[in-house]
Amino acid sequence: MHIHAYEKLWLAAAIALILLLIGSVTYGAVGPGVAMVTDSENQIDAGGLDEDERFSEPRVEQVGENHYEAYVVAYQFAFDPSPIVVPEDSRVTLYVTSRDVVHGFEVVGTNANTMVVPGEVAQISFEVDEPGEYGVVCNEYCGAAHHTMEGKLHVVSQSEFENRGEDA
Amino acid sequence: MSRTETTQAPVDEAIDDEEFDPVGTLALIAVYFAILVLAWVYIYYIEFLGRDLVVVG
Repeated sequence: MHIHAYEKLWLAAAIALILLLIGSVTYGAVGPGVAMVTDSENQIDAGGLDEDERFSEPRVEQVGENHYEAYVVAYQFAFDPSPIVVPEDSRVTLYVTSRDVVHGFEVVGTNANTMVVPGEVAQISFEVDEPGEYGVVCNEYCGAAHHTMEGKLHVVSQSEFENRGEDA
Repeated sequence: MSRTETTQAPVDEAIDDEEFDPVGTLALIAVYFAILVLAWVYIYYIEFLGRDLVVVG
């Protein structure tokens, strides 16, 4: 079969493009370690969060030298805790669940973004560096006051983090 | 089934693909291709990976 030289050229280019797309996503997963939100967490009773070990008292907890976990409850129309306060230069794992309807949890302008489904726990981990304040919004329509549903994520210095109880 | 006369006609000798060089089409596809590659590099490497709080777990 005879194929025109130009056609060979753009067949090769199209294959190269496909390899670039697949290669980029592979690089993202292997290099920066981009991960998806999975269903690895067990289901919980959305109506019984009061008795749940993690969510009866939404909070930030230190679980490793530089690793913090936050247990966050979304409800109509707020997030608890708000602000979520974590120290700078640490790894943060958020466990987010809902006690009523489907919500979203998006740290505005960042890649930290997940759906929050009642009975399911969304787990996302990321690294924070410099102190700063991020907004958190619900990005799934959840009711009449959906547009007012917001939270805060504060990244503070180590000393400020250790003294945070005194301001409250 | 009727057979048309064109199927019986000899191949037009004038269309020899070695002389058929659609340079304009090639250039157009090259431009589209460059836009596609640049857009992908921008979207994935700069807009997506360049943002804060990349989810790693």
